Amino acid sequence: MNGWTGNILRVNLSAKTAKKESYSEDFAKKWVGGRGFAVKILYDEVKPGTDPLGPDNKFIVALGPIAGIPAPNTGKAVVAAKSPLTGFYGDGNLGTRVSEQLRKAGYDALIVEGKADRPTMLHIEDDKVEFLPADEVWGKGTYATNDWIYGKYGKGVGVLNIGQAGENLNRCAVVRSLEGRAGGRPGMGAVMGSKLLKVIAVKGSRAIPQADPQAMKTLGQGDLKKVGRIDKESGWSIQGTTGVLSFCNEVAGLPVRNFRKTHHSDAWKLDGERLNNARVATYGCPNCTMRCGITIHDHEGRESELDYENIGLLGSNLEIFDLPQVGSLNYLCDDYGIDTMSAGCILSFYADAIDHGAVAGDFKFGDAERAKELLRMAAFREGKLGNLLADGSRRMAREFGHGSEAYAMQVKGLEVAAYNCKFIPGQALAFGVAAIGAHHREAWIITFEIKFTTRESYGPEKAAKVIELQRIRGGMFESIVACRFPWIELGWGIENYPKYFNTVTGLNWTLDDFWKVGDRIYSMIKLNYLREFPNVSREADYPPAVWFDPANADTDGPIAGKVLELEKYDGLLQHYYDQRGYDRRGIPTKATLERLDLSQEAAVAEKAAKLG
Amino acid sequence: MKIHVKMIGPLIYDVGFSEKNLEIPERTTAERLLELIRVPKQRPRIVTRNGRAVAPQEELADGDRIAVSPIYSGG
Repeated sequence: MNGWTGNILRVNLSAKTAKKESYSEDFAKKWVGGRGFAVKILYDEVKPGTDPLGPDNKFIVALGPIAGIPAPNTGKAVVAAKSPLTGFYGDGNLGTRVSEQLRKAGYDALIVEGKADRPTMLHIEDDKVEFLPADEVWGKGTYATNDWIYGKYGKGVGVLNIGQAGENLNRCAVVRSLEGRAGGRPGMGAVMGSKLLKVIAVKGSRAIPQADPQAMKTLGQGDLKKVGRIDKESGWSIQGTTGVLSFCNEVAGLPVRNFRKTHHSDAWKLDGERLNNARVATYGCPNCTMRCGITIHDHEGRESELDYENIGLLGSNLEIFDLPQVGSLNYLCDDYGIDTMSAGCILSFYADAIDHGAVAGDFKFGDAERAKELLRMAAFREGKLGNLLADGSRRMAREFGHGSEAYAMQVKGLEVAAYNCKFIPGQALAFGVAAIGAHHREAWIITFEIKFTTRESYGPEKAAKVIELQRIRGGMFESIVACRFPWIELGWGIENYPKYFNTVTGLNWTLDDFWKVGDRIYSMIKLNYLREFPNVSREADYPPAVWFDPANADTDGPIAGKVLELEKYDGLLQHYYDQRGYDRRGIPTKATLERLDLSQEAAVAEKAAKLG
Repeated sequence: MKIHVKMIGPLIYDVGFSEKNLEIPERTTAERLLELIRVPKQRPRIVTRNGRAVAPQEELADGDRIAVSPIYSGG
């Protein structure tokens, strides 16, 4: 088998055992890697009802056939587990040298089971697997932990680690890597923490098996240079992702004041131009020639790496229009290892709930200093409030009551990314049907809606666009595993990716083959959801209720007086289900599952609930 | 007539300003405005007027707020 190592490393922290397991070529072709491997393994091995923070949950690191091989932009890894935030399959991807090092050590995936008896660093070096004490860094933030690992093994080592938020089982804790990367929004860091697993450090020395290594080297390295040239010509990385802030502000799609408003006259203070002017350094993932990590000095003088999502949610959404202060909130999230997006939504929800009398408290929009204290309380689960903040906005709303569920900005428990869809129906659908909850990673169609369709439309063309992007972004890129940015931001041809895949595997796949894998992955995540929530209804795919509330309409600007219409949204959702081959609950029908070669998995799901 | 123009992202560095008020002739189209402010033709972009997409041949009006943005894809 070329392209894949054909091996998975299974580690049990309770028994301190490690086992190299091989998998078949059929498995490789059916699931490709990354998210595909993770969802299948978790479906087969983690029973429904399992406590996500208990020893029976499994933490997966999964790579794909082009991960770690020099080509645009292959330095990413998928981390996955049953989510403590959403209660079903959760995952994320992050830039890390693990992508290359784990593959060179001879594995395409790592499965971590059980629970250690003390804070542990899992150290993998080819066939050697060690369970080393990590007491020295337990209680420390991710920056100090990262330095500690580099001190032991040097900078070339592949690292995944958690901060205090993961240790304290904050349900929004992420996994961290390199000097500023984070992934696994739905609490993947808390799953590591629940296993007392502070660090994974990996070093490999073998060649990754490839059908034609010389051809791939020429192709991949040449294309990395080309992507770098296109980036320079376009100027994209001058502002990176943060250019989108001004665009969202212009078209009334910016989160402001817990998504109550869609634009703000002070938004310019946080925009890409200001960020670029304040730039201290630039960071990127391995195998990247369009580095998007821009750091500034935060309010306390520390280097903090900002992008659009964290500026939108920790800045405008909290009405904090002071870039260094936003940098401080971002730094704390990164050091504690909390998801910046969920953190922004949780704090904005808390301020909004106080404003609306759902709960008594002393946090107001715009109060950066209090926000810093609240982040600390959430990371360490200090007191009743810290515990509430650490459990995410959905659980907070259930506790607060008084109708606050309507403005807890989440779908399926995962907080919404930084796009205010008060009057952007297609993007609202993209959040509603995102596989793991309201993530922007899988489909983003705002420019498409505004430039190429009618913004008001709830037509089938928007559902089709969401599916097209889910196949590419949530399916192909998450399984091969690579970063989508060269394609999505620089227009690097999508056809290049099957070319890389075919060169390393020796196969002859077309994009259609990847779409089928993508559809299979989405169906599997739905089956996973069904097994956990057998009484599922289509309302699970609705975005936050406040976007439908006429009382929440803008009073000025481009969408004054407008909000989403529930009946029409439901019609758009049905277009999506029809095109996907899902039933009225949003679950794949038996016919769809058979078409995707998932009959066996369907039979397992039917033990929990009937399929359509 | 007077309009306000805002450039977004790397387009700022193409035209040399981030935003300003402009005096332009009556019946100037969106496409003509881009020529006047020298937005490179090869740059993919979306032009909005008061937050709504505007077609190249549409005529602008006094008091319009025009934004010129790259085609972002949301990261």
